[in-house]
Amino acid sequence: MKYEVKISLPVYKISYAVFFIVMLSLVRGVTDSYEIGIASEAPMAMLAVCVFADTYTKEITSMRSEIWRLRPLKKRMYSIYRRIVIQWIFLLFAAVVGYGLFFLFQNPRTIDMGQNSLENETGQFFIYLSAIAVTLLFWGLLSNLLSCLFRNMWIGIGGCLILWLTANSSIGDKYLGAWNLFSYTFRDVENSGDFRWICGKIVCICVDVIMMAMLPNIIRKRG
Amino acid sequence: MGIMIEDLTVTFKNKVTAVGHANLEIPKGIFGLLGENGAGKTTLMRVLTTVLSPSSGTVTLDGILYSEGNYEKIQRKIGYLPQEIDLYPSLTVQECLEYMGDLSGISKQIYKERIQYYLEKTSLTEHRKKKMKQLSGGMKRRVGLIQALLNEPEFLIVDEPTTGLDPEERIRIRNLLVDFSEGRTILFSTHVVEDLAATCNQLAIMKKGCFLYAGNIQELLEYAKGNVWDFVTDDSAQVKELEKKYLISAKQHTENGIQMRILSKEKPNLDCRPDKATLEDAYIYLTNQSW
Repeated sequence: MKYEVKISLPVYKISYAVFFIVMLSLVRGVTDSYEIGIASEAPMAMLAVCVFADTYTKEITSMRSEIWRLRPLKKRMYSIYRRIVIQWIFLLFAAVVGYGLFFLFQNPRTIDMGQNSLENETGQFFIYLSAIAVTLLFWGLLSNLLSCLFRNMWIGIGGCLILWLTANSSIGDKYLGAWNLFSYTFRDVENSGDFRWICGKIVCICVDVIMMAMLPNIIRKRG
Repeated sequence: MGIMIEDLTVTFKNKVTAVGHANLEIPKGIFGLLGENGAGKTTLMRVLTTVLSPSSGTVTLDGILYSEGNYEKIQRKIGYLPQEIDLYPSLTVQECLEYMGDLSGISKQIYKERIQYYLEKTSLTEHRKKKMKQLSGGMKRRVGLIQALLNEPEFLIVDEPTTGLDPEERIRIRNLLVDFSEGRTILFSTHVVEDLAATCNQLAIMKKGCFLYAGNIQELLEYAKGNVWDFVTDDSAQVKELEKKYLISAKQHTENGIQMRILSKEKPNLDCRPDKATLEDAYIYLTNQSW
């Protein structure tokens, strides 16, 4: 596991992720705390796309894939899944830090509910955390899958970007509604009891399962 | 049983045929593979490691046919050192090899023992804590070779394993390969003819995707026997003229003038004397005779 951390999280990756969340929390203005999720979800998804794109393709560009393919598929897949988990946890941590940085730099208004204020704020944070966890995993897996399929990380990033632009648009919101991949971003913030956005996250989880199942075949065939 | 290649053809999408109707039998022991750049050696090795699928023809390893259904079985028997490989720059030598050992599915105790053994054999023990990115090209080659040996494969394919090594290390690696070849098959591709002369009995020479020669080194030397001539002159104009007229396998400035090794079927009309053919002479003679 230690070696996998070193391989999947090189210094440059940590640096650009940190730079990204610092810039995001500085540049993207928020007035109320519930806007942090809206401000973070889509940009963090793009960060996940970039971080995950070379999960396996780094083996191709370095020609290591030629010796990887001589190793048992089970071991190879175990290694790739470990990298995915490591990168996902790292991004989740970055998302938490980013949430805190919004408070630090912009001091947004919190939910004023009297004695229950802190409780509501904490609840909102955990909802954000759950939503962003699903979002990060979905976009990361998609980026990795496309990169492996085409043996090129730029195709993975490009393919995801097209979907990202579609889903993160008024057209995406209009036609997909609660089933949109960014349903958390487009949720009704005025109505905190409206959890229909979970549908979009369920779509993400279902596609995640399909992508995880497809990956071993792609690795076996494309190498 | 070794490897049997029958009527193998590899044509790429751009219609370039890298290997055309090649037939070869690779027996147990070290088998040399020689050829100029672009001759098809790497393509052949990529087919043998299952990286590439042949366009036509058949390949078998110990009787197992190269087909998609058998690839996993074949892959377990192979160790491979590609010509270009960039092993994990952020890991140390020890970590990198342990990672590759774990990926091979060998038990931790066994791969640790093997790593220690091969690090000693390749004089890398003192460098085991260095990061891969800090190593010289020759050291990286040696680490690459160790990773190929870790699962003790029945069939080892090494592409230019001695590139970047100093003479002493080259000898060490050659000896390591000779020891390792006992009961196994090693396909040793190199440009350094000297390495083949020192390690193997059998070799194949490739040119433009075909085998010009496959067989015993002694027979190849016989082929060039009587066709190598030593000539010394201090006339540089004559040297230029001879270079145009004959195949020259070596040229050297000596106290007596410029010493040349001329490859010619007929004795050149010069004051030259016949010399014993080396593998390099035979290789140059053969590759230039046939085309």
